[in-house]
Amino acid sequence: MPPSTDLLQGTLDLLILQTLAPGPMHGWGVAQRIQQISKDVLQIGQGSLYPALHRLEYKGWIRADWGNSENNRRAKFYALTATGRKQLETELESWERLSAAIALVLGREVRA
Amino acid sequence: MMRELFTRLRFLVVRRPQGELDEELQFHVEQATEVNLAAGMTAAEARRRALVDFGGVERTREQCHEQRPGWWLGTVAQDVRYALRGFRRNPVFTITVIATLALGIGATTAVFSVVDRILFRALPYAHDDRVVSVGLVLPSAKEEFALGGFFFEWRDNQKPFEAMAAQEPEPHACDLVESNPAQLDCLFFDSEFLPLLGMSPVLGRNFSPEEDRPNGPRVALISYGLWKGHYNLDPGMIGRLIDVDGSPARVVGVLPKDFQFPTLESADVIFPMAVDRAAQATANGGFGTPMLVFARLKPGVSVAQAKEEMEPLFAHARVTVVPPVFRKDIHLGIRSLHDRETQDVQLTAWILLGSVLAVLLIACANVASLTMARGEARERELAVRSALGASRARLIRQALTEATLLSLGGAAVGLALAEGLLRIFLDLAPSGIPFLERAGLDFRIALFTILLSLVCGALFGLLPALQTPRVVALAARAAKSRKRTVLRRVLVVGQIAVSMVLLSGSALLLKSFQNIEEQRLGMQTGGVFTVQIPLPGFRYNSGQKQMDFYLQAEAALRRLPGIRAVAISDSAPPGGWGGRLLYSDLAVSGKPHPTPGTGGMVATRRVTPDYFKALNIPVVRGRNFTEEDRHSGESLAIVSRLLADSMFPGEDPIGKRIQAGRDVRWHTVVGLAENVKNGGLVEPDEPEMYFLRSSIADYWGGRAPLLIVDSVLSPKATVPWVRSQIEQLDPTVPVTTKPLNDQVRKLADRPRLETALLGFFAFCGLLMAVIGLYGVISFLATQRTQEIGVRMALGATRMDILRLIAGEGVRLIALGGVVGLGAALAAAQLIKSLLYEVGPHDPLTYLAVALLLLFVALAATLVPARAAMKVEPVVALRYE
Repeated sequence: MPPSTDLLQGTLDLLILQTLAPGPMHGWGVAQRIQQISKDVLQIGQGSLYPALHRLEYKGWIRADWGNSENNRRAKFYALTATGRKQLETELESWERLSAAIALVLGREVRA
Repeated sequence: MMRELFTRLRFLVVRRPQGELDEELQFHVEQATEVNLAAGMTAAEARRRALVDFGGVERTREQCHEQRPGWWLGTVAQDVRYALRGFRRNPVFTITVIATLALGIGATTAVFSVVDRILFRALPYAHDDRVVSVGLVLPSAKEEFALGGFFFEWRDNQKPFEAMAAQEPEPHACDLVESNPAQLDCLFFDSEFLPLLGMSPVLGRNFSPEEDRPNGPRVALISYGLWKGHYNLDPGMIGRLIDVDGSPARVVGVLPKDFQFPTLESADVIFPMAVDRAAQATANGGFGTPMLVFARLKPGVSVAQAKEEMEPLFAHARVTVVPPVFRKDIHLGIRSLHDRETQDVQLTAWILLGSVLAVLLIACANVASLTMARGEARERELAVRSALGASRARLIRQALTEATLLSLGGAAVGLALAEGLLRIFLDLAPSGIPFLERAGLDFRIALFTILLSLVCGALFGLLPALQTPRVVALAARAAKSRKRTVLRRVLVVGQIAVSMVLLSGSALLLKSFQNIEEQRLGMQTGGVFTVQIPLPGFRYNSGQKQMDFYLQAEAALRRLPGIRAVAISDSAPPGGWGGRLLYSDLAVSGKPHPTPGTGGMVATRRVTPDYFKALNIPVVRGRNFTEEDRHSGESLAIVSRLLADSMFPGEDPIGKRIQAGRDVRWHTVVGLAENVKNGGLVEPDEPEMYFLRSSIADYWGGRAPLLIVDSVLSPKATVPWVRSQIEQLDPTVPVTTKPLNDQVRKLADRPRLETALLGFFAFCGLLMAVIGLYGVISFLATQRTQEIGVRMALGATRMDILRLIAGEGVRLIALGGVVGLGAALAAAQLIKSLLYEVGPHDPLTYLAVALLLLFVALAATLVPARAAMKVEPVVALRYE
């Protein structure tokens, strides 16, 4: 069972932005990368991935261009825009604040 | 930031090609397939697993679309198209709904445009909410007034106000003496006046303090109207000399175009007050010049606080300036300028607004009921749409779209209707209602109308939409449940109750209006007309000159054919300005002086002998004044029965001698006249004392008198002769003639307007409530056709069926009637002060209203009930 979208609403955006930070990538790549890095804990279904990508594009945080994939197929590559980069920074900050706050409430040590 | 905005705008306009998304998703599946292949699956299996993992493509596609900014706009357009198709399919429904809404919205808009300025709109001054009227109030003078004897002390020592300013109590007539002469209204106000209101002249400047001093240079401000009408917007107006009443004044400024005087009167030329402060101790018998005073509160100071802070100054003025007889009754009055201008009509305005909103509510209920009936018929369609995946929210949105379209349609027609209704209001309306002539449909009113229609649409759109389409509706033979009509019945009960309130309110007003119209005036008004000649004061500047003119006019009019009597009086009852004295100021020779401050007021008029003849007021004891008396130099008086009863109880008043107020002469009472309505139409009568208007210059001067003419010919024939006679005496004076009947009618204009409007609303409300009732009963009857067939097949008579269906209606009527009666009895308290000689709980009125409602409502029930009665059992059993 994938986690409910409600919970992921803001977080998914953050994950996608973070994943795109190193360089442009296509949708499939984004999903794979998140799954890989999270050691298979986070599996992003296409049902939430593509609407999220489109939403971010409409907001102007990422930009889409058609290009060729590793195996030479036409694919849509997403890249962070300047606004997106700034947005990523703000979201990272607020995420850190939030997780620190939750950790405090739960009585765990905050890892510096 | 800009870039983001640009992206958003671009996507609003450019639609993304559909293929791109498909290609993107396709790529995703292919990648998954390749991974599966690499894991060792067969080609077919790899593709199958990839597709299974991928899930529903269509859903993703939709969700991607929904990310598009402004995506919902498209669905709104879709909903609108769908709704319009529905309306075209069912024109009767559409027209009925729009007509009902137009009536409700149109009437509400028209009324709102009238009451908006009275109740809600701010005054056109910079600090409108802080401008107040300050002064003394008496039981007989409810509008605040001030006197020069204390004004300056107040102004110098007050704390709660930023500024205080004064003006002359009312504009006075004056003459512009130029090559193109004109009669104008002139007014005095002081140099603080315009700054206090936050206004400045549109051209030139305000008076300087130096000009607002006694013996200062003679300067004037003129109104925009005079500048435009008389001087053709001459830009060189400033500094020009104009000749008013024979002495030149230099124009220093022009008032703004829409300048509104705080008293709502108009004036063409304004002079500085230039009050001689030192002379105030002796002017006007020691009281000082009468004036109206306005002030601007300091920020944050309330009217109540201001009153408290002014109390010591008032107490001082009461002791030093006000004569002892007034002290008990006099109070300090401070109220906002808005209240001063509109207080008398606020209640009427609220009542009209309330009743028209009630009509609108009934209209909305009717439309809701209609929409629900339509909803029943469309239940199956809705169920199908729901089954095909339309969400609940989407269905509600669809219903709201339809409601909004209908109510906007209603608003459009209603606005046109409002324009017409407003014209009728203005025709009916009396002149005394402030701002009425300015009422019109402007942007603000249109905005109100649209908001109103949207609220209305939400009201009648949401109710039916909340009923979920049931799955049963999909079945070919839908079982109809009767539970769903509960809401419609509640609406009908509410409609009947509200109409009951409206009906009884208007019936009470009607009764009261009849009482006003039918009361005895105590005099004749038919064939009598008054002639008003405001003589220019600078030419007729002595009592002698004035008297000569009027006596000549009297003689000239008497020579005309068909004239029975020509009288000269201060004014004519029942309304009209008249002199008034305190009862306690009347001294009777040989009797102790009455206790100061008791007995109320006594109306006084100075009249010639023909007064009683012209108005046909019987002199029941003693005698009338005679023509000889006029030249005898004797001071004579006639008292009204009311005055005689309180002054000479059980005695013969004839021959008694009375001294009135500051007049040192003793008047001998020669006659006793019947009472006449003299305090207006609805106010209680006042005791009255008539003094003989002797042909001696002392008795003349001051306020111009009135000629009262009784003619056997119609006024239409006589008036031109009257005019030509006056013209021969002085061709420059304006002559106004008014039939007395019209003047009496005019006094009843306010109650007539209130009655007519409320009656109209009650009629509309009743009509719509009855239509609503009819709709529900006939709907119930059709719904039960099958049941009726079964009953008849089992032996029920047609009367039983009639009883069955009509019983339903009677229950609704009874319930609505009882609820309405309770509400009406409570609401009647609100209009109590508008009623004349009829109690707010007059049993006969309520009985009549209840019977009317019952009769009309029963008729509306019997029509569908009779139709149900005539159902053929066989047909009914095959129904559906």
